[in-house]
Amino acid sequence: MTRRLIAPLVLVLALSACAPVPAPSGAGAPSASPTPTPVPTSTVDVPIVDGALQPARASLPPVRVRIDAAGVDMEVVPVGVESSGFMELPPDPAIAGWYRFGPDPWSPDGNTVIAAHIDAPDYPIGPFANLRDLPADAEITVAAADGSTAAYGVATVTYYPKQELPTEALFAREGTRALVLITCGGDFDETTGHYDDNVVVVATPRA
Amino acid sequence: MHVHPNPHFARKYSQQGGKSRPTKEDNVRKTIAAGVVAGFALAAGLVMPAQAISATTADLYVFHGIPDTPVDVWVNGEVKVPDFQPGTFAGPLDLPAGDYEVVLTAPDAPVTDPALGPVTLTLEAGKSYTAAAFLDADGMGTAKLFTNDVATTNAGEGRLTVRHTAAAPAVDILANGAVAFSNVVNGAEGTTALPVGTISAAVAATGTTEPVLGPADVAIKDGVLTIAYAWGSLDGETNNLKLAAQEITVGHTNPGGVPSGTAGYAAERDAMTQAFWIVGIAALLAAASVGGVLTSRRMRATKLDS
Repeated sequence: MTRRLIAPLVLVLALSACAPVPAPSGAGAPSASPTPTPVPTSTVDVPIVDGALQPARASLPPVRVRIDAAGVDMEVVPVGVESSGFMELPPDPAIAGWYRFGPDPWSPDGNTVIAAHIDAPDYPIGPFANLRDLPADAEITVAAADGSTAAYGVATVTYYPKQELPTEALFAREGTRALVLITCGGDFDETTGHYDDNVVVVATPRA
Repeated sequence: MHVHPNPHFARKYSQQGGKSRPTKEDNVRKTIAAGVVAGFALAAGLVMPAQAISATTADLYVFHGIPDTPVDVWVNGEVKVPDFQPGTFAGPLDLPAGDYEVVLTAPDAPVTDPALGPVTLTLEAGKSYTAAAFLDADGMGTAKLFTNDVATTNAGEGRLTVRHTAAAPAVDILANGAVAFSNVVNGAEGTTALPVGTISAAVAATGTTEPVLGPADVAIKDGVLTIAYAWGSLDGETNNLKLAAQEITVGHTNPGGVPSGTAGYAAERDAMTQAFWIVGIAALLAAASVGGVLTSRRMRATKLDS
């Protein structure tokens, strides 16, 4: 028992050792006296915004997505929502749709969402059928018509039952930039004509 | 606006699409997945909400629409916005529901020497307001508490509110050349939902289309309330009519889902692949057992021969 207790203690000591070393006294440095943090005054810093009309940042639609590890090199077109409220998708599984109401890969924040059918009647199986086999850290690149590119590394590949797709998190407008690729997977329900699951790839920007 | 990702949403399958036991690789992926979902939550938590409305508080913005007169804004006897410049917005102030006394003074003047006010603002919990100080139709300073429509917008839409806060007669407000709001008088407002994009907005005297203000490009953003104020004066001598815009993130609507497969070909292929392997392995096993029998027979035959 005694021995086991030693390790955490050592850790604590090691952590304390990381604290800034007090400057030697009389070194002429302004005394970093341990005065308590000043109590916040009642004055609130209210954000002030100029009312002049600001030109909005025009979004930069991705036009191509490429994943060598999955043999994907696809055209991407902007899409919105269907009248049913579902995300609109190009009918051809060989073409992916970028959710144009959300961020693009060059937006300062939020997730770029690109989705494609895994398959559709009268078309060959789509390239996104290979998403489920993507290894962690596989490279995904997205390009815009003006030559801009953005590179990502695969962080996760997840199956979600369709009703439980966390749209709020996946379609986030705020927070760290990420690329979200969505297609279908799991079992195909012949009665509904749809797959049970969504296959979701989340990729984070390469440094 | 808050994200509550649930890592337990994730249901893991084996790579062949069957519901067999999770492999080691699956477990690794699951772990990474949980990490990233947590990452999402963390990122969402770090973002300062555009509105801090709660069940007990209101958001208050202040718009200064009186030309050429910087002011101090006093709320309940305290300067909240010092040296507040015309044409700017302050806020949001996250205030508990209740009554607030607001006074505008010249900068550094005592609260007992008001330039405008005191006015009492009654704020209800869960609402967003913009208190505007502006010129009335006759060019006199006035104040009004506007309520902002901060309901979530439909996917692909933004919301536009226009407010007439200028010393000017009734106007029509034009969007892309067509009348969007007609006969808007001083102190009045109008609100509409619009598809995302940029509209060319202009203000004209009611019944005319010749702009007295604009046209100017106004961005309509998904999940954003844009409030445009016509402010200043159309008075002949001091014509300083201007447009000011305030943006409030109100929240967007996400797609209801992503139905991204309608044929079942990939599932069929998976089933075929699986069947192929099952048949193939069975065939191999069968071949092996047949071979084994033959071998032993041959061996027996050899023995007999010898």
